[in-house]
Amino acid sequence: MKKIATILILVLASTVVFISCDNKRQPGKVYMPDMAYSRSYETYAERDSSTFSMNIQERGGSKIFYNALPATGSIKRGEFMPYTLPNDSNGYKMSAMVPNPIQSMTEDEMKEAGRLFNINCAICHGEKAQGNGPISTSGKIGGIANLTLDMYVKMAEGTMFHSITYGKNNMGSYASQLSKKQRWMVVKYIRTLQPKAAVAVVADSTMKAK
Amino acid sequence: MSRYRITINKTLAVLLLVLLFSINNSAFAADGEALFKANCSNCHKPDADYTGPALKGWSSRVPSPDWVYKWVANPAQMIATDAYAKALFEQWKPTVMTAFSNLKKEEIDAILKYVDDYTPPAPATASASGAAGGASDDSMLYGILTLVLALVALILLQVNSNLRKLSDEKEGIYRSEPVPFYRNKTYLMAGILVLFIVGGYFTITGAIGLGRMKNYQPVQPIYYSHKIHAGINQISCLYCHGSAQDSKHAGIPSVNVCMNCHMAIKEYKGDPIVREDGSAVNGTEEIQKLYQYAGWNPDTKQYNADNNSDGIPDGAKPISWVKIHNLPDHVYFNHSQHIKVGKQQCQTCHGNIQEMPEVFQFAELSMGWCVNCHRESKVDFYNKETKEGNKFYSIYEKFHEDIKNHKLDSVTVEKIGGTECQKCHY
Repeated sequence: MKKIATILILVLASTVVFISCDNKRQPGKVYMPDMAYSRSYETYAERDSSTFSMNIQERGGSKIFYNALPATGSIKRGEFMPYTLPNDSNGYKMSAMVPNPIQSMTEDEMKEAGRLFNINCAICHGEKAQGNGPISTSGKIGGIANLTLDMYVKMAEGTMFHSITYGKNNMGSYASQLSKKQRWMVVKYIRTLQPKAAVAVVADSTMKAK
Repeated sequence: MSRYRITINKTLAVLLLVLLFSINNSAFAADGEALFKANCSNCHKPDADYTGPALKGWSSRVPSPDWVYKWVANPAQMIATDAYAKALFEQWKPTVMTAFSNLKKEEIDAILKYVDDYTPPAPATASASGAAGGASDDSMLYGILTLVLALVALILLQVNSNLRKLSDEKEGIYRSEPVPFYRNKTYLMAGILVLFIVGGYFTITGAIGLGRMKNYQPVQPIYYSHKIHAGINQISCLYCHGSAQDSKHAGIPSVNVCMNCHMAIKEYKGDPIVREDGSAVNGTEEIQKLYQYAGWNPDTKQYNADNNSDGIPDGAKPISWVKIHNLPDHVYFNHSQHIKVGKQQCQTCHGNIQEMPEVFQFAELSMGWCVNCHRESKVDFYNKETKEGNKFYSIYEKFHEDIKNHKLDSVTVEKIGGTECQKCHY
């Protein structure tokens, strides 16, 4: 009889222990913490501020300078050379002279460029680049460019690249989301969405027809 | 006769003229709306400030009626020469209005007429009448019913035994006093067995669940609703989590990605957000929190200066989001492998993220769950004829041959080594 009682108590106790860990706001416990949690620094792990510093002035001091950025001047494999024009009105004007390093794209590359456009640009500019993406039509952000307008058809590809790189008006910079190569690819893709020959005349007549 | 004809002709002509004029008139008014929508509505609203000022009541503000035509034709030149234009620019900078030199005077007049006559459409009558009223909880009802029935059964049992006792006494049969049920061995054994099974069930599920965090839903530093961003606003998952296609990690977007939209979107105007415990969330305040983290001043529309040379605006700091989906350190998982090569949807493992106000862990992320999917998922082999499918798998020649010879109809991830131990544990 006593044995049964002890078994009962044990079972009940372990049940309570296991169930009590069930709170959805807490991550819960694991069996072997040293196998579950990494001992090396994981991505996004917070660095100990008593050992590490992000202040470049403290470089070479008692702390380790580390800001998670690649060394200055390093270029990723397959990436284009750095874009050097500054983010000011002068740089904007000069960007018109920068040629697109991508001359032509294969069918697959064009598909990829379209995919990137649809993810990053179409949310505002619309899938046909007519300035009517979901954010635009719901009126959340105003002043979204209709890229099929005459002024954008005439705009140099370098200027488009400049605007994507640094942002323009309400548009932010996309340099952190798209690599330089991807940005040039997207520019090429936008060109395919724009009306081509006799552009000005066509745009004008459609406007009147409305 | 000819005199009649002349009068008829004259009246017809007058009628025609009137008709033409009226058609022209209505066309003119409609034209204003269409022209406004085609050219102006991106930056202007008739009755509210937007990227540019509200246009209604323009005539009381501009210095001269002619000013509008000159401004529309060439805003940049006007800013340089005209005092009022310059003041306008100062108020709305850095955005400068695009020149619309192709708009004719009559067209501008039509737009201005439309703007002045504009009345906002009546707001849709509130239709929310509390749809959740009738949904009563059935399980409660069943529980009460069961209890009542059990009580009735107990009373009936008691009555039965009492009646039997009475009849036994009448007939002169004497039975020994019955053993109380808590000392009856059959009852005890049955009780222990039930307890053992129930307790064992909870213990085992609890023990299996230890280390798994299904439904884990931590409180995040900012109330960020995936339902609003990915659901209502239809932003692609890869807009913010772009590194899911290039790297092991799906990536938490850096604050500048948030600022791509929130430079312009300063306040939340959608449906009220309510937490699960019923408290309301102030969306605008949550956006203000983002500005704090970004070191952005929404009034001057600029980032704070970087005086302490740490490479980010002063006061800015990364948002310490709480990671929800954790795999043990001894498991290797690569997002790009699943997204780019395997062409999986995010929702396969993360659930309907676009409907979650607060994200929780949808899948159990156990090994059995992983392996199950590897056993069932079919690999998208490249088809040379239709040019569809994934070229990555062209190295598996044997399977291509087998498919060609109709020995196989499809290949699962398991067949190409997706359940080998070293695939994920090394």
